[in-house]
Amino acid sequence: MIPRRGWGRWALVALLAWLIGWPLLVTLAAALTGETGGTGAAFVEFAQRPDEWLALGRSLWISAATVLLSALVGVPLGFLFARAEFPGRRVLGQLVALPVALPPLVGVIAFLYLYGESGFATRVVGRLLGAAEPPWRLAGAGAILLVHAYSMYVYFYLFTRAALARFDGALTEAAASLGAGAWRRFHAVTLPVLRPALGAAAVLTFLTALGSFSAPYLFGGSFRVMTTQILASKQNGDVDLAEVETVVLAAIAIAGLLLARRLERDSAPARQRGVAPARRARPGRAARWALAAAGWGLALLLLLPHLTLLVMSLVPRASWTTELLPPALSLANWRLLGGSLEALRPLASSLWMAAVATAGALVLGFTAARSAARGGAAGRATELLLGLPWAVPATAFAVALATTWSVHRPLEGRFLLVGTAALLPLAYLIRALPATGRAALAGLAQLDPGLEEAARSLGAGKLRTLRRVTLPVLRPALAAGAMLAFLAAFGDFVLSIVLYTYSTRPVSIEILSNLRLQETGVAAAYGVVLTGLSAAAFLLLGREREG
Amino acid sequence: MEREAHGRVVGDEARGTQVVEGEVMEGARATTPRGAWARVPRMRGRGFGTRVMAGVAVAVAAIGAAALGLAGCGGDGRVALTVYTPHGRDLMRLMEAEFERRQPEVDLRYLDMGSQEVYDRVRSERANPQADVWFGGPDSIFARAAAEGLLASHRPTWAEAVPEASRAPGDLYFGTYRTLPVLVYNERAVALEEAPHDWDDLLAPRFAGRVLIRDPLASGVMRTVFGMVLARAAADGGSIEPGLDWLARLDLQTKEYVANPALLFEKLMRGEGDATIWELTDILLQRQQGAPFGYRFATSGTPVIDDSVALVAGAPHRDAAIAFLEFVGSEAGQLLAAERAFRIPARTDLPADRLPEWAREVLAEMRPADYDEALAAGRSAEWMALWDRTVRGRGAARAASGGQGGR
Repeated sequence: MIPRRGWGRWALVALLAWLIGWPLLVTLAAALTGETGGTGAAFVEFAQRPDEWLALGRSLWISAATVLLSALVGVPLGFLFARAEFPGRRVLGQLVALPVALPPLVGVIAFLYLYGESGFATRVVGRLLGAAEPPWRLAGAGAILLVHAYSMYVYFYLFTRAALARFDGALTEAAASLGAGAWRRFHAVTLPVLRPALGAAAVLTFLTALGSFSAPYLFGGSFRVMTTQILASKQNGDVDLAEVETVVLAAIAIAGLLLARRLERDSAPARQRGVAPARRARPGRAARWALAAAGWGLALLLLLPHLTLLVMSLVPRASWTTELLPPALSLANWRLLGGSLEALRPLASSLWMAAVATAGALVLGFTAARSAARGGAAGRATELLLGLPWAVPATAFAVALATTWSVHRPLEGRFLLVGTAALLPLAYLIRALPATGRAALAGLAQLDPGLEEAARSLGAGKLRTLRRVTLPVLRPALAAGAMLAFLAAFGDFVLSIVLYTYSTRPVSIEILSNLRLQETGVAAAYGVVLTGLSAAAFLLLGREREG
Repeated sequence: MEREAHGRVVGDEARGTQVVEGEVMEGARATTPRGAWARVPRMRGRGFGTRVMAGVAVAVAAIGAAALGLAGCGGDGRVALTVYTPHGRDLMRLMEAEFERRQPEVDLRYLDMGSQEVYDRVRSERANPQADVWFGGPDSIFARAAAEGLLASHRPTWAEAVPEASRAPGDLYFGTYRTLPVLVYNERAVALEEAPHDWDDLLAPRFAGRVLIRDPLASGVMRTVFGMVLARAAADGGSIEPGLDWLARLDLQTKEYVANPALLFEKLMRGEGDATIWELTDILLQRQQGAPFGYRFATSGTPVIDDSVALVAGAPHRDAAIAFLEFVGSEAGQLLAAERAFRIPARTDLPADRLPEWAREVLAEMRPADYDEALAAGRSAEWMALWDRTVRGRGAARAASGGQGGR
C-alpha cells in the first residue's frame, strides 16, 4: 500500500498528475492555442490595466488577512476545547466546527436575515441604539473578511485540536520543572510541536480565501478581487482575458504553496514519541461553569446562522418581511420536503457522493502524504500536486475536468466521464485532496519514525505496522481532514453546477431550484437537513477522535 | 532516504521473527491515550486501520449499490432526452409531463442551471455533447454560442409564426417567450401614485438610495435595459456619453448591485430598497406567492428580450430534440406556458381569446421600446465592460466632474 521503492512513489506522482495536473494542462493548452488565439494580447491587456492589478493586490491582502484573523479565532478555540475541561465540552467541541458547513446559497440568505440591513441582529442592535439607520452594512472588504474568518477559522480550529490531541504533556511538564515560564513553555515547546498543523491550516486558509468567490461576489459590492474579476470578464464575453486572469491567480496560489513549503522546510519538524496522555486542565468549580457558559455562548454565536436557517424553514413563504420576529410559523415547507421520495433523492445523491469522495480522498491523500513526507524529488512533486486542486478557482477546475473527460482518447489518458455518474464524485474527491493530504502531512510531521521502526523490528509486517501504529497515531489528523473533505463535498455548489448529471443531482442544485421559485423556506429546510447530517457525521467521527 | 534504508534493513533482519501478537498489541495500545473511552471494551484485534478500511469498503459497496439502483431507474427503454435549462421547475414540470404524454417513448430529463452555466457546459462538452436541447436564456448568449458553432441548425414548423427578429440567422435558435423588463416596486413602501411610470422616474429624489439593481454584468435583463439606454443616446448624437451619464445618475440612486434574483427579491420584500427593474414573469410568480411587488411598464417603451431555444450541435438524440423543439413552439406548448407559468408566447399568431387574461392585458399595455437593437446587441460586451470600469460605484465622482463625458 505504501510505495517503498522509488518507482512506486513515482507511480503515485503519475497518478496524481493524471488526476489533477492533466486536466489543467489540457485546458491551459486549449486556452493558449484556442480558436480565438488572442491570449498573448490578453496577457498584454492584463498587464496594462490598473484595475486588474488592483484586484490582484486586493486578493492577496484579503487572503493574508483572512489567514491572520482565522488563526486568531481558531487557535485559541482549539486550545480551549483541547485543554480545558468543562460541562458540554465534547458536544460543543464538535458544534463549533459547523460554520464550515453553512449550506451553499441559502446560507448566505441566512446571513442576510441575520446581519444584513434588514436582519434580526441588525434590527435588534439598531433598536437598542435607537438609531433610525441600520448600525452597519454588510458590504465591502470588512464584510468579506468577516465571512471568511467565520467560515475558515475552522481549519485552524480542527488542526490545532488534532495536533494537541497528540501532544505529549510530559514535554511541557519537563520544561516547567526546568523553570520555564508559561510564555516560554508555549513559545519554545508547544508552538514548535504545533507548527506543522498551523502551517497546514494556514496553507488551506490562504488557498481557500484566494479562490473564494461567494463572499466577495455577494458582499464585496464594487470591491473586486480576482475571482469576481474573472467572472466579470467571462460575462462580458472576454474569454481570453478570463483565462489569463485564471492563470495568474493559479500561478500566485502555486507560488504561495512553494513558499509555504520552503518555510516549513526551514523549520525542523518537531517529532515526538507517541505517548500522549490527554491532559486537561481541571479548573475549579466556578471557573468550570464560567468556561462552560463562555463555550455555550460562543457556540450559540457561531451557530446563529444555522439557527436562523431553522427558523427560515418554518416561515411560510413571503411572510417574514419587515417584522422583527416571524409573524407565523408552520411546517408546510417540511411537509413539501418529506412529502415525496423525489424530494429526498438529492439528499441521497449528495450523501453517497460525499461519502465516496471522502473515503477516496482519505486513502489517496494519506498515501500521497506519506510519500511527500519522505522528501526527495518525488515527495516534492507529490506535495505540490496535493495542493493544486485548491490553487485553481473551483469553476475553472470544474470546466477543466469537464473538458478533459469529455472525449474517449485512451492514448492521451483521457476517458469519457462527462455525463456519467462517476465524474462528480471524482471531482469532489480531487477537490478534497488538499484537505486530507495536508491533514495527513501535518499528522506525519508529528509522528516519531522510531515508532514504526520499532514495530517493524519486532516483526510486524507493513500492513500491521500501518494498522496498529501509524494510523492510530494519525487518527486525529486524518479525522480532521476527513471532516473537511466530507463537508466540502456534501455542500458543494460550484463544481456541481458544472458537472452534475440527471442521476447525480445534489442538494445544492435542489436548493438553487427552490430559491429560483422563491421557495426560501424549502431551500432552508434542505439547508437544515444538510447541516444536521454534517453535524451527525461530525459527532460520529469526533466520538472516535476524542482522546 | 537514510531512514528508508535503515527501515528496510531492520525489516529484513527481523523477517521471520515470531512475535506474540499480544505484545504487538500492547505496543499499539500504548500509543493510544488513556482516556475513559480506552477502557470501554472494543472489538478485539480490530485497530483503527481495519475500521477505516471497513468504512471504505462499505462506502464503495454503497456507491455500487446506488449506481446500480440509479441505473435501474433510468433503464426503462425510453429515449433519454437531456435538456439544459435556466427555466425553473414551475415551467419544466409542466413541459415534462405534457411532452412525455405526447411522446411516450421519450424520457425528458432537465438539468436546471443559469444561462451562463448552460453556455459553459455546452462549450466544455463540445467534443462529446451531453445535452440535446438548450431551452431558455436571452438570445444574446445564444448568439455567442452560435458564433462558436455550438448550436445545430433546424427550422421548426412554427418558425414563421414568431417575428423575424426572434429568428437567428441560419436557423440556429428561435425565440419562444418574450421577456419583458418592467419597473418593480414594493407596494408596502411605495404608494400607487408614487410608483415609477418610466425609467427616468427612478432618478427622482424619492428613490435616492432606494433602488436595488441586479448585478448587470450577470443579468441578460439588465444588460438589455442598459443597452437600450446607451443605444438611444448613441442614436441621438452619435456618442454614448449621455447614456453613461444617465447610468451614473442611476448608480447614485442605487443602494446595491445584488448578486442574484433570489437575493434581490428578499431585499425588496424586506424593505432594504423600494424599487428595481426586473422581468415580468418572475414578478408575476412572486405576486402569486404573496410577495408585495407592484409593477409598471415604462411609458417610453419596454425592450423585448427573446427567450430562446436551440438544438445543441451533435446532440445524441436529435429526433427527440426536434420533437421537443416542435412542442415548445406549438400552439399547445405556448398556451400551456402562458396559462400555467406566466410566459408570454413569442408567437404572434395565437388567437387572442385563447390567451389567458393576464397575457392579453400585458400585450395591450406594453409598448415595445424603439431603439437600435442590433447596435445594442453588437456593442453589449464592450459597453458593459466600459460601464463596469467607469460607472459602477462611481456615480458621485462622475456627477462631481460635470457629467457629459467630463472626467
